[in-house]
Amino acid sequence: MTIRIDRRHFLMGSSALIAAGAAGISPAFAQAERLRMLFWGGQARADRTYAVTDLYQAAKGTDVEGEFLAWNDYWPKLATQTAGGNAPDIIQMDYRYIVEYAQRNAIAPLDEFVGGALKLDDFDADQLEGGKVDGSLYGISLGANSVALMVNTTAFEEAGVAAPTRDLTYDEIMAMGEAFNSANVRGGMKVIMDGSGSEPMLDNWLRQKGLALYTADGKLGFDADAMTEWFQLWSQMREAGVCVSAEDQALDTGPHETTMLVLGKAAMMPSNSNQLVGFQAVMQDDITISSYPRLAAGVGGGHYRKPSMFFSVAGSSANKEAAAEFLSFFVNDPEAAAVLGVERGIPCSAAVRDAIAPTLSEQDQIALNFVANLGDLLGPLPPSPPAAAGEIDISLLRTLSQEVGFGARSPEDAGPYFVTEATAILNRA
Amino acid sequence: MTARSLQSGAPARERAATPSTWSRIWQNDAPGYLFLLPWLIGFIGLTVGPMVTSLYLSFTDFDLLTSPDWVGADNYIRMFTNDAKFWTSMRVTMFFVIFSVPLKLAFALAVAMLLNRGIRGLPLYRALFYLPSLLGASVAIAILWRQIFAGDGLVNKLLLLVGIEGPSWISNPQYSLWTLIVLSIWQFGSPMIIFLAGLRQIPTDMYEAASLDGASKWRQFVKITLPLLTPVVFFNAIIQTIEAFKSFTPAFIISGGTGNPINSTLFYTLYLYQEAFAFFRMGYASALAWVLLAVVGVFTAFSFFTSKYWVHYDE
Repeated sequence: MTIRIDRRHFLMGSSALIAAGAAGISPAFAQAERLRMLFWGGQARADRTYAVTDLYQAAKGTDVEGEFLAWNDYWPKLATQTAGGNAPDIIQMDYRYIVEYAQRNAIAPLDEFVGGALKLDDFDADQLEGGKVDGSLYGISLGANSVALMVNTTAFEEAGVAAPTRDLTYDEIMAMGEAFNSANVRGGMKVIMDGSGSEPMLDNWLRQKGLALYTADGKLGFDADAMTEWFQLWSQMREAGVCVSAEDQALDTGPHETTMLVLGKAAMMPSNSNQLVGFQAVMQDDITISSYPRLAAGVGGGHYRKPSMFFSVAGSSANKEAAAEFLSFFVNDPEAAAVLGVERGIPCSAAVRDAIAPTLSEQDQIALNFVANLGDLLGPLPPSPPAAAGEIDISLLRTLSQEVGFGARSPEDAGPYFVTEATAILNRA
Repeated sequence: MTARSLQSGAPARERAATPSTWSRIWQNDAPGYLFLLPWLIGFIGLTVGPMVTSLYLSFTDFDLLTSPDWVGADNYIRMFTNDAKFWTSMRVTMFFVIFSVPLKLAFALAVAMLLNRGIRGLPLYRALFYLPSLLGASVAIAILWRQIFAGDGLVNKLLLLVGIEGPSWISNPQYSLWTLIVLSIWQFGSPMIIFLAGLRQIPTDMYEAASLDGASKWRQFVKITLPLLTPVVFFNAIIQTIEAFKSFTPAFIISGGTGNPINSTLFYTLYLYQEAFAFFRMGYASALAWVLLAVVGVFTAFSFFTSKYWVHYDE
């Protein structure tokens, strides 16, 4: 956890606290001209975000105090603060949680500010739509992104294998894997990580079959046969040594540093387009992005442009309008946009995109072009997932993929088991 | 109460005397309570209050964002009848407790015996051996453990020198829990210090008499050292068992909070944490916490009950 408060404010704050305590009154921190903001991310994101709050302070005289945490620590903190009636004014929100927070009034509808404090004139329609819950606007998308394969091009060159194109299919991965194994680079590096426990990869695969992870009414969008087929697909790759072993894959516990890509055990791994910046920052090899594999040549529609994250305003905030004004600055101001780049995704305002395009770094350009040119890979935005989706991902899909990987359960057994257990979790929530 | 007030005997007098009794108690004990106050406020505000709240929450459905819904004993019923993960986590924790505590105590005792021979530089060794206990539960050590027991980690590099190709210990469900048990044993410092103090209490003339009678070292250990050390063993066993039940950080860091591979390191506390802070079931998590308290209580009570058969307090 990192809080950024400069010393002057800290001293003022603590003296105010002491004075208030002595006078027996509660401190009124939430007065105007000071906003609190909470977001998840790493140091690179924090540096960019704080640069924008400094710009805002200079332009409007309003202080925005930011605090950032890692994804896993972020949600407990936010939920605890919200429960304690002490939520920050500005909340970074994810597609996975927005419905839950909106339905409980933990975040406020922003429709009344649109056109006033909040200017969204040339905002992408699909990104605006993604921030709506039951017809009201609850989140302002901070950028569009898409799922993408991270590709270690240096490793592909060493192995003498052609790097994947946007026409890559699952069958071709098998062939590539064999070529990689005979080249035997870097102590037996595999062509791809084991993606059987990757929820976005499963989602993409299902969408190409015309199915979905979840339906609009929050039910499972596929049956046991599809799930069995998914596990069989990866078991085949594992047995052929195309993807990494179960033992290696289990080392991956989430952070970039534990992934097969960064550990150098696999040359490709499923991730998101905006993560290219983050992965390249911790790797020596050249990384690029490509699309997820296709079921067969010509099959598309698995990808979608999703709002990578939102800013929302707390339902309990005393400064909703001031907060909305800051959001407007964050997504529209050209200077702010130049600082932010595409680290949170591709900016949603057309004017902002045009303004920053010439200033972008090479990786930023790759990410921008990838999301802008998905073509036939692009399908419609799926409905926001049910609240229990996180639990199904963490405690069912990932565990089950390990059980199959280590041979504790067969794919034919894991498919029906997944559907039964996932349905039980959905019914319980 | 003074003799004079006793003599009077009249109920009216008694009642009249009460205020002065109270004020006397107040005068005598007030400073004591005043000194206790900071601790008392903390104890009531930070321990008793939250405990009572969590007991209440354990009978509710509470997701932090909306107010708790009373569900009666549902959480407890679900736990015992319809929650495979509860049993998995219980089994993992029991396995950990049953293997880590005795091994750690045995190791601590062995080191204490070694250090009890009056070697030179004892304070230095004592400090060095105690060090892991200070560091052991920390995040840094858990991360270090990941490096040591990974597929290409230190342990496997050493094994490779003798021609053995080891597995990736931390990410293989067969071995992952054992790496945590080894980590726990490595933190033998605090029981060792207590054992060392206990060993110093044993009079040396007993050993002298025994060796005059021709008793071997092993026999001296079994017949003199162990029986006289049982109160210390008992104390250490209770403390370490409770610690083992509460163990959280190493499993959390090493498995990234998941308890994987295949839930093989899903400690009870980790499951509790997941339910509370990953899935926001505060009610269910509170119920889990109270069951853990009960289990630890039963274990401790059982230890006290059996202690009269094997712990010797006599001279």
